[in-house]
Amino acid sequence: MSENGINHKFAFYLGCIAPNRYPGVESASIKAMKKLGVELVPLKGASCCPAPGAFGSIDLAVFYAMAARNLVLAEQMKMDIALVCNGCYKSIWEVNHKLKHNKDLRDAVNEVLKEVDMEYKGTINVYHTAELLYNDKFIGVDKIRDSVTNPLTGARIAVHYGCHLVKPHKDREFEKEVMLNTECPTWMEELVAAIGATPVEYRNKMMCCGAGGGVRGYDIVHALDITNEKLINLMEEKVDALTDICPFCQLQFDRGQIEIQEKFGKTYNLPVLHFAELLGLAQGMSPQELGLDLHGISCEPLLQKVL
Amino acid sequence: MAEKKATTKKAPSKKEDTKKVAPVKQEVKKAAAPAAKPKAAPAAAPAAAAAGSTTQQGEARIGVFICHCGTNIAGSMDIPAVEEYAKILPNVAYVDNYKYMCSMPGQAVISKAVKDNHLTGVVVSACSPRLHEPTFRTATKEAGLNPFRFEMANIREQNSWVHMHDREGSTDKAKDAIRIAVAKASLLQDLFPKTVPVEKAAMVVGAGVAGMQAALDLAAAGIKTYLVEADTSIGGRMSQLDKTFPTLDCSQCILTPKMVDVGRASMIELMTWSEVHEVEGYIGNFDVTVRKKARGVITPKEAEARGIVGGGCNGCGDCETACPVVKPNEFEVGMKPRKAIYINHPQVVPLLYTIDFNSCVKCGICVTACGPEKRAIDLESKDEFVKVKVGTVILATGYDIFPIEKKEEWGYKRFENVITSLEFERLICASGPTGGHLIRPSDGETPKRVAFVLCAGSRDNTGTGKPYCSRFCCMYSLKHAHQIIEKIPGCIPYIFYMDIRSFGKMYEEFYYRIQDEGAKFIRGRVANIIEDKKTKNLHVMTDDTLLDRPIDMEVDMVVLAAAVQPKEDTNRTRKLFGVSCSSDGWLLEAHPKLNPCGTTTAGVFLAGVCQGPKDIPDTVASAEGAASAASIPIHMGEVELEPYFATCIEEKCAGCGMCVNLCPYSALALVEKNGRTVMEVTEAKCKGCGTCGGFCPGGAIWMNHFTTPQIVAQIDAFLLGGEQ
Repeated sequence: MSENGINHKFAFYLGCIAPNRYPGVESASIKAMKKLGVELVPLKGASCCPAPGAFGSIDLAVFYAMAARNLVLAEQMKMDIALVCNGCYKSIWEVNHKLKHNKDLRDAVNEVLKEVDMEYKGTINVYHTAELLYNDKFIGVDKIRDSVTNPLTGARIAVHYGCHLVKPHKDREFEKEVMLNTECPTWMEELVAAIGATPVEYRNKMMCCGAGGGVRGYDIVHALDITNEKLINLMEEKVDALTDICPFCQLQFDRGQIEIQEKFGKTYNLPVLHFAELLGLAQGMSPQELGLDLHGISCEPLLQKVL
Repeated sequence: MAEKKATTKKAPSKKEDTKKVAPVKQEVKKAAAPAAKPKAAPAAAPAAAAAGSTTQQGEARIGVFICHCGTNIAGSMDIPAVEEYAKILPNVAYVDNYKYMCSMPGQAVISKAVKDNHLTGVVVSACSPRLHEPTFRTATKEAGLNPFRFEMANIREQNSWVHMHDREGSTDKAKDAIRIAVAKASLLQDLFPKTVPVEKAAMVVGAGVAGMQAALDLAAAGIKTYLVEADTSIGGRMSQLDKTFPTLDCSQCILTPKMVDVGRASMIELMTWSEVHEVEGYIGNFDVTVRKKARGVITPKEAEARGIVGGGCNGCGDCETACPVVKPNEFEVGMKPRKAIYINHPQVVPLLYTIDFNSCVKCGICVTACGPEKRAIDLESKDEFVKVKVGTVILATGYDIFPIEKKEEWGYKRFENVITSLEFERLICASGPTGGHLIRPSDGETPKRVAFVLCAGSRDNTGTGKPYCSRFCCMYSLKHAHQIIEKIPGCIPYIFYMDIRSFGKMYEEFYYRIQDEGAKFIRGRVANIIEDKKTKNLHVMTDDTLLDRPIDMEVDMVVLAAAVQPKEDTNRTRKLFGVSCSSDGWLLEAHPKLNPCGTTTAGVFLAGVCQGPKDIPDTVASAEGAASAASIPIHMGEVELEPYFATCIEEKCAGCGMCVNLCPYSALALVEKNGRTVMEVTEAKCKGCGTCGGFCPGGAIWMNHFTTPQIVAQIDAFLLGGEQ
């Protein structure tokens, strides 16, 4: 253990949706991780990740160069990146992986970065905070269980894994080394159990939230239809909340419920929380501190059950 | 690279001043002079003396023959420049080129040139020696030279094909290759292949349909055949199947006559519940040690040998009835129980019980049940090792089923009503665990909607499954569809496929027949399968790529046509017999098209699926091919061995014995000769790998055809660019 019980330091990449729509994710991540020996240092000057669906489908050169710029900022800090969003993971982790293994691509990207006096060197790694939480190498389930002061006993919580952290499993090292299962994973359920809640399985758990790949932007009704099907499956299991590890999924499930109400006339009122927010609750942070009042769907029913 | 360019640049300078050629030649001869020293040394070793120089005296006169291979070679390099270069190389007396050197006129060019120019060695600059070395050796021989006076320079596979767009580079590289080959050819010696007698017996490893067919053919050809089977009975995978496509005859009905024939054939010695333990020797003379696993039950013959008259196992099954230990029956894919003493099914050959000593509690109840007359059970039996000598070996070790639970999205082993095709075969088979009634494992109900998922783990590039096509799943799934339509009125089979590969004789017709019978075909790779917790029904999720719409189909049962994969112990088999495997793990044939049954180890052949997925007709054809190939050396009575063996120069040998320990083929031994300990080579065992020759601290080992002077000359020729 080093100074103040901090074992690891990471450059904290925020992304877009977390700081703008769910600031609780940011504060909960920083505070909760600190209690677990991990310091998240702000990655100053970072840009959009950029969004893999929107940018990646249109201009790969821009996509690679922008992601590489964010990576270089962390290289300059001599720190690995930690982030809280599956979409950011797809962009930044994957671009880092590709640049490390493809010299031609690296040269092309560095040619672009030269314009801003930067050079990608490939000296750092990229992690999702969820994998830091689960992986014993960094934190691990036991340590999380020990950090809990307010166990969420009695809450039935379902997990939405999202897509980019687990797939494509062919090159996801985290999947190969730690989770070992992409089709019916249960490691997030272990995290949920560690903070005292009851993890709940539901039909077609690995189905998409509906938003990704630009579908939300392009065809909102189609996107909501997918979300709606997931919500039906969730409600069948009488869950108290859904937890995710991706602010974009969170947006789709949270704001999406309001849109579903408007467009399809169906009401679910299912609280949707990033796992960092749940962890913050379990470690005794107040709902205000977590910004839960900023959620589209009220978290009150869950809070009444667990506080 | 820079160095290489410099060396090739020297050639033109020599070309400009042709007078220089002669001095260069002289220098080379001087360089060759020390090489002649070790030549004198083996003269003391009698074996090498025999291989010594009959035409070695005098100057080496080498002919270089450059092949165009149509445009394969000529299209990527400057042949005239290569030819001009070859002309000025030391010892080269004749150079020619031809469009196809391997053709009859091409070979005639070589023959004529050898005679007209009194050549002492031939260099053909063409393709890989793996392809045409035998052709040109024969041509060299027909021209009156010893066939080992031939050297090949590969300028196709290792040059024109890989440097197709670098004309200058490939021309330079061809010059290098020819210069090196000429250097070696100048020092080649006459060699005389040895012949060894071939044991008139063969071994077949694995007694599935491939092994049985191969053994029957060999036996019919009058060859004593040892048939080794790891399981308790012969029959293999085919005996687990219900019906066979496209004829729909019962698998057991057509297989059991063969099994009975194998059991009866006097020329076949059946060794079930046995494994190959150790292999020594070489083609014609393999010494194979077979481990007969402890069986706990003796045959009437063995009983007689022990003096128990009228005893031994008669297959009555009294022991099985009495045995208190219950285990899952592997033959029924675990869907039926068996006892610790058991037979797989009623038609086993040999009809002989086996004790599974991993489960047996040695209570002795079976011994009592067997009775004092038969006394067939011996609870203390141990593994036995039997040594047999055979001339050739056929490997017919078959396949395993890919563990399809690894494709987690389909839920095998998570969802009760998801089964594999092999389980389906047992469930639909009248002698299977349900008497031929297809039922759902969850509730025993008869399914009305059955989904078949094809390419389950085959043609899979995700890294989880196998990239290859397992070849027979399409056809047996069509057969399964037919079987449920026939057996269960109103039951609909849904076949989820990528392509239906109905490639064989009458296969496409069978496909149409199943379409007409009412099977539903959905073209789409199944994304995932979801279980309805209450009904245990399954939702098959896919994309119908013909109708371009997502599918969520509720069915009562899913059958996964799981991929096949090489046997778990393939690596062990490979090491035992010195056979390679391809990147996908199947045993590697000598040539995929022209020698599919042979291997790179002389005398070892492949039959059936161990070489790659095959259906039954192909398996049987391959087995007959392997049997034919394996019988040839036996009928010839003797085989010729390449004379590349090591030779000991006895006066230099200190008898340290280090080489003996290093030899991977146990070909070397220390012997007493004239009061000294020296090494001796068993030539037939030596593969000419050169491990001993490279290591020998005293330089006392002479590797025929790869002598130190020859190799040094090649290295010099490369590094010095011919100017030694």
